[in-house]
Amino acid sequence: MASIHLDNVVKRYGAFVGVKEMNLQIADEEFLVLLGPSGCGKTTTMRMIAGLEEPSEGDIRIASEVVNGLDARDRDVAMVFQGYALYPNMSIYENIRFPLRMRGVPKNQQDALIRRAADMVELGDFLDRKPAALSGGQRQRAALARAVVRQPQVFLMDEPLSNLDAKLRASMRVQIKHLQRKLRITTVYVTHDQIEAMTLADRIVVMSRGEIQQVGTPDEIYSDPANTFVAGFIGSPPMNLIEGQVHSGRFIAPGIDIAAPGHMHGNVTLGFRPEDCGIAPDGQAGLTGTVYGIEPTGDSTFLTILAGDKQVEVKAPRDFRAPLDSCASIALDPARLYFFDSATGQRMRSTQ
Amino acid sequence: MRALFPYLLVAPAVTYLLSITLYPGIYAIYQSFFLVRFNEWIPVGTDNYVELFADTEFWGALLNTLIIGGIALAVECLLALVLAYFAYRDPFIRGWRIVFLMPMLFMPSAVAFLWKLAFNDGRVISDLLMRLGLISQNIDFLGSVPLARLTLIVADVWQWTPFLFIIFVAALQGQDQEIEEAARLDGARWPQIFWNISLPMMRPVIAVAVILRGIDITTMFTNVYIMTNGTPGGTTETISYFIYRQGFRTFNFGYASAAAVIMLIITVVSAQLIVKRAFRSGRA
Repeated sequence: MASIHLDNVVKRYGAFVGVKEMNLQIADEEFLVLLGPSGCGKTTTMRMIAGLEEPSEGDIRIASEVVNGLDARDRDVAMVFQGYALYPNMSIYENIRFPLRMRGVPKNQQDALIRRAADMVELGDFLDRKPAALSGGQRQRAALARAVVRQPQVFLMDEPLSNLDAKLRASMRVQIKHLQRKLRITTVYVTHDQIEAMTLADRIVVMSRGEIQQVGTPDEIYSDPANTFVAGFIGSPPMNLIEGQVHSGRFIAPGIDIAAPGHMHGNVTLGFRPEDCGIAPDGQAGLTGTVYGIEPTGDSTFLTILAGDKQVEVKAPRDFRAPLDSCASIALDPARLYFFDSATGQRMRSTQ
Repeated sequence: MRALFPYLLVAPAVTYLLSITLYPGIYAIYQSFFLVRFNEWIPVGTDNYVELFADTEFWGALLNTLIIGGIALAVECLLALVLAYFAYRDPFIRGWRIVFLMPMLFMPSAVAFLWKLAFNDGRVISDLLMRLGLISQNIDFLGSVPLARLTLIVADVWQWTPFLFIIFVAALQGQDQEIEEAARLDGARWPQIFWNISLPMMRPVIAVAVILRGIDITTMFTNVYIMTNGTPGGTTETISYFIYRQGFRTFNFGYASAAAVIMLIITVVSAQLIVKRAFRSGRA
């Protein structure tokens, strides 16, 4: 069991900077998710922790020992790859046994460890099969078993669920979280799927273009985003972001005219989540526009409204219906409005 | 007309292939049942085959081919694998693999003459070894059976190891890098990764390479013709050289054809066996 520290870690590929000045502390037994779009540096960060890439600058410490220059095999980390990376020439039993064999675990202890790991992921009946004879979900579980079998200090997972279908992904998510809690192994998990991040993480690190945008618990990331990137990345559908101007305490944009905190002025971006607004009784609207589209999802109806040339998503009751191009009035919850500086994208917080 | 068009397109290739492989092949099978004296063809039934099975020179040639070709092939494979293991992770391999390819680009007869000079006529190798103080007098490479065979093996290895090397490097570079990385994290060192994972995954590729080289090596002729002429005492005479000698030295065409047909059968059957074995258990 170990904590992980990244101190001013930089990764350059020639002139391109993959990861910029990264500082991150991962606590012992924590489940940390690196979240961001492709090319944001999250996988590079994980590969540096694994020892598959060397940082260009800065230190990485695992269990307070600097591991720079230490080969991947000597770091006592296990990794689950996106493509599972099972050894195709070996049976599942031999796949799970491989790390034990390589690390010189005595032969008479191996079998018990392998069967325990296989039972943990419910693969006990498939040990004789070759990876090619397993389904995607089973291969994923085999890769998981191979990673847990030797009880590593750190668990790394690189988009392990992205090759599975939606239903399987949901059940694997629960299984991974359960396993991590049971084994109490520090885990770093890379994904671009914000639902995975929200459901799995103790803390989420949102990354973009090689930089950390925000670090926090799923609740903090969701309800207190630090900038427009985080606000627009998290949530399904994500937060509505509308650029406008603040003049003498009013936020003005096409279709919107609402009160803004007193200290703001100039170009401001307003953010609000689809579920923090509703259909307004006449005359109380904070936002008016025309109905662009209606998407019933069963438990609710998502309404797309055109305000000016901007599409706004609103979560409406399940039985809400309206003809296209009809007028819609939306009430915004004043307590759940977010204001961002349009120039920098940073959150403007109320000073009081 | 529209239906005929595809056939029209492949017709030249098919005609070409049939005329240079199928026609001579059938011709040889047909001829193997005759005693051929230039224009006079006397049907002899299976006499050529019966005679061949009792011919110690034929069996000797077969054995020589097996010994020389087998050792050369094994050495080539081993050398190429070792070289590929060290080279495939080298980012500059693209730049300098042309160096490895060069022996393959030379004309085989020119290479054979070079080795003939080095081993026999020019005594270059003996001279080098003498100057190094390793031997005290010239080695007569054609004077002993193992040495004569060795010269053929060395010449073949020199020219054809690069062919296998290129194939093996491509196979290793084509392997999923995630699997190698997984093995590293599982605690494997490079030799262990190679032995436990990369090599088993290369099985089908190795099989194909061995078959291609094997077929080529069973028809080894140029080096024998130029370097040893089958000496000493026919111990370096390969099947191809035997067939050539029967056909074009003693003009016993029917007999040579029968030998060629038997050789064809042996080659096809053994290639089939290797393919079957390698691909059945190589499939994951």
